[in-house]
Amino acid sequence: MPNGKKGTVPAKPRRDVLASLRMASLEEISRASLPAEIVSSILDYLGPADLIRAARSCKLLHEMAYDDTRWVQLLKRIGCWDESNARKHSEKVYGTVAEFDVVEEQNILEKENGVIPKIAVDGVPSSGVDAISDGFHKIELGKAAAQLEPLENEASDPDLVVLKQASSIRGEARQEYGKIHAALSPLYDDITKSGPSTENLVFTKYKDPQFQAQMLSQLQAFSNSDMTTGWEWRVHRLESAISMFETAALNEFRQGYETDDIDELMRKYAHILYSLNGGQSALELFIHHNHLMTRKSELGTLADCIDGVTGRIKVQHTQAFFTRFSVAYNEEVTIMNRAFPSELEVALPFMEKIGQDVLFPFLTAIFDELHRTNKESYLTAVSVTFIQCMNLSETLLPIRDSGSNFDQYLDTVVTKLYEPHIELYLAEELDFFRRTSEVTIDDWDRQLSEQAASTESFLMSNVNRQADKRDFLTSFKKVIMMPVNIFPSFSGTKTNEDAKSDSDTNGTSTPKNLHRFSTIASPAPLPMEEAPKTELAAKALIMKSKMEGIRSLFSIEIALSLVHSAKSSLERAAQFVRLGGEYGKAAKQQCEAIFVALLGILGHRHVIIGFNKAVDHLSNYRPREQDERDQSGVEPLVTFLELVNVGDLILQMVDVFYEQELISTHLTDRSDFLDPAVKEKKKFEQLLDEQVAAGLNKGIDVLMEEVDYILATRQLATDFNPEISSDPHRQTMDVGLSEAAAAVVDVVSSHTQMLVGSTDKSTLDVFNQEVGLRLFTALCKHLKRQRISVEGSLKLISDMNHYFKFVQTLKNNELLLYFKAFRELAQIYLIDPSDAKELATLIADADRFQGIWRVEEVYEFAERRADWYQVKRDVERAMYGIGCSVM
Amino acid sequence: MSTITLTSSDGVDIAVERAVAERSVLIKNMLEDLGDSGEAIPIPNVNEAVLKKVIEWCDHHKNDPPSASDDDDNRRKTTDIDEWDQKFMQVDQEMLFEVILAANYLDIKALLDVGCKTVANMIKGKSPEEIRKTFNIQNDFTPEEEDQIRRENEWAEE
Repeated sequence: MPNGKKGTVPAKPRRDVLASLRMASLEEISRASLPAEIVSSILDYLGPADLIRAARSCKLLHEMAYDDTRWVQLLKRIGCWDESNARKHSEKVYGTVAEFDVVEEQNILEKENGVIPKIAVDGVPSSGVDAISDGFHKIELGKAAAQLEPLENEASDPDLVVLKQASSIRGEARQEYGKIHAALSPLYDDITKSGPSTENLVFTKYKDPQFQAQMLSQLQAFSNSDMTTGWEWRVHRLESAISMFETAALNEFRQGYETDDIDELMRKYAHILYSLNGGQSALELFIHHNHLMTRKSELGTLADCIDGVTGRIKVQHTQAFFTRFSVAYNEEVTIMNRAFPSELEVALPFMEKIGQDVLFPFLTAIFDELHRTNKESYLTAVSVTFIQCMNLSETLLPIRDSGSNFDQYLDTVVTKLYEPHIELYLAEELDFFRRTSEVTIDDWDRQLSEQAASTESFLMSNVNRQADKRDFLTSFKKVIMMPVNIFPSFSGTKTNEDAKSDSDTNGTSTPKNLHRFSTIASPAPLPMEEAPKTELAAKALIMKSKMEGIRSLFSIEIALSLVHSAKSSLERAAQFVRLGGEYGKAAKQQCEAIFVALLGILGHRHVIIGFNKAVDHLSNYRPREQDERDQSGVEPLVTFLELVNVGDLILQMVDVFYEQELISTHLTDRSDFLDPAVKEKKKFEQLLDEQVAAGLNKGIDVLMEEVDYILATRQLATDFNPEISSDPHRQTMDVGLSEAAAAVVDVVSSHTQMLVGSTDKSTLDVFNQEVGLRLFTALCKHLKRQRISVEGSLKLISDMNHYFKFVQTLKNNELLLYFKAFRELAQIYLIDPSDAKELATLIADADRFQGIWRVEEVYEFAERRADWYQVKRDVERAMYGIGCSVM
Repeated sequence: MSTITLTSSDGVDIAVERAVAERSVLIKNMLEDLGDSGEAIPIPNVNEAVLKKVIEWCDHHKNDPPSASDDDDNRRKTTDIDEWDQKFMQVDQEMLFEVILAANYLDIKALLDVGCKTVANMIKGKSPEEIRKTFNIQNDFTPEEEDQIRRENEWAEE
């Protein structure tokens, strides 16, 4: 049965040990004997004195009781065993660690063989190892014993520093413990037996409280090694003796502080308490009864710092509070530096306490009050006081022992101070920004709808005010396209709010925008700025209504104010980023959230809606339905293109804002494409581009409809076929442009130019290409509707040249081919009917038209000749050969 | 509530509640490894009287929380023994040693500790001679050796 086997196996080695025990006792014992490991663990429960007595009973017990680890354990409990010192020592004596292990192994082997280490005195020459493990220091012990008598010269009493002097040497732990025991045990026993009183041996033996403190501190450590029954009681007695002493010392210390006896009384007892138990109690007393705490009301009150009328925070008063605070603080620091021993860690607890008891209630009171009454002021207060707190580090005297850690301490304290507020603050900041932005936009929306109710929306009504439009349109375009005129007018209102950063934004964005827009509109002085004449006044009036028109879509002013409130929120919140750690991260995230919110509100609620409206208007626009025609452009498209410009301006603004506020302050990492701010910004740009593209698409439709309309209505039949005209005064060979061509080019070019520099280059290219192609198709269609005489062809050629020149300005080579072909095509009308062969060659020459038309198509164009039926035969013959003519 | 049967070295079967028997780490591991076959588990090193005594202790302590790790060097090892255990250990010395040995064999740490503490308390305050007498140890020191040890440890004298 496996169980049985399992049971017997572990019993075997024990029998061997038992055998050695029997050998040692040399007696046939009938009763059960205990194996060595149990005996050893029994010894674990014995106090040192009992252990020594047990050692004296027989050799086995002697060996076990003398086991060095037992005594090392005791020294460790007292706290005067230094493992690394022991290691160093043994390496010095035995060589390297590895060698030492070998020696130890041998030692263990010896013991396992039942050889009891020899005692040095028995005369047998002993090995080096044994000499050390059994070595004893009679002389030292004798000296220690002699010193148990009350001493004249207390300061030189080695007992006072017996724990410090204890050396950590393997193999000598018992001797070291013996020294400590001899020095401390009588005092310890005295206290534990007679209870705490001023008559304790420790107080009678040493007169100087400094030495008493040192001794008590040693006894405290020594009591850790007391493990036998009743130790709780003994330790408790020792503790009450110590606390009795501590209370007395503290009283003296406090007296010193109250009577301003810093260098004598305070200093003395601070040192005494330090040597007793690290001086924490003195420190605590000092901190709790600190003058700074008791007089904190003198630093400043809540009422001082909040303006009762407006509910705003008075920054100068909080600053004054901090200044008074730093003065009072510095006073206390001088006292601390003089009174406390330099080893004592005073800086952090003191600063923590001050932060907790003086600054925290003050700030909390301010924050709570403001949070209740004035949100914006609350946000400012949190941020401003935070900066002021951080600036404290410059005015505060460093506490002596803190050294370079001082700033770190201060940061910790300030962090603690703001910890409870920061979450609320950050949430509040974002909320505040969202709310104000939404209010701004809602306000604007409301105004808009009110306006829309009173006056017909511009977009729908503009067509009714056609008079003089061309004139002021250009002016309006200038107004819109000149950011120079727009920016300062807004920044003026913002200067109060955030002067420094504002100039930053403007300083960088203005030249940039100017640069971009200068390609279109020269920043010439506006007519509006001239002396108000009646004509100009009228212009201004209508311009204003035009402005209203674009306002109905979105306003750059609103965008600017949103950006500015985002900026101020962001700057306040960004202060907390330097807190680092979790809160710094939270602040960072909140900054990004504010930016994202800005993009959301500005983009989705404002710009995009505006764009949507514009695109809507654009798609609903039916030029043919309008009774009166605009001379210069398709109104909704013009509006839309202007919108694109404004949208681009806003985008740039956001970009500058992003660079300035988030990148340059390291709030966010540009290259981190997962970052929410970066993502949101990309999305915004994309959205804007999409809107622009969608709008342009619609715009092209509308533009082409306009072109078709112009071609259909303005192109007179006589333009290209003057022969049929009945006008007798007609000049022969009119080489000028036809009116329709001029109008078409005007319309198209004015629109395409408006886009230059305001959208993405690729979008622009696509737009231009599309416009060109559609124009080309429209012209083809148009041409096929015309009848062209040889004489009229000159006009056609000049029209074509005009188109070609226009297309050249689009800088698109592919498009240019089409219009080159057009130019060539016009030639076929120029050929005299008599030269049918020539005409045929021309038609068949596909290369001439860059392969844009097939021969059949060119043929179709040729059919539009006024004299086609006269030349058709000849041409066909020339083209298809004689065979055809026979038929 | 399952019961298992233990067979003592002198062949006596004792039925024990499984939870009680599992105070012994040895039995617990055995049951875990082999499963409860229903067969009696032989305890070859422990006789009936001692086994019963051990079971009595286990039964009383069956609801004790598992002891915290005792390997911690910093834990203060005390010789305090609770009242019931003190009474339980009031047996003759031979029985005491048998119980300790059984506890050691069956791996019942708490019982082993109580046993050791009891023995330690027996040693406490006794002179070397008294210790020898109590535990029936023969003095194997020469007088010189004995004197030497005494002088080495003068500090320990009251």
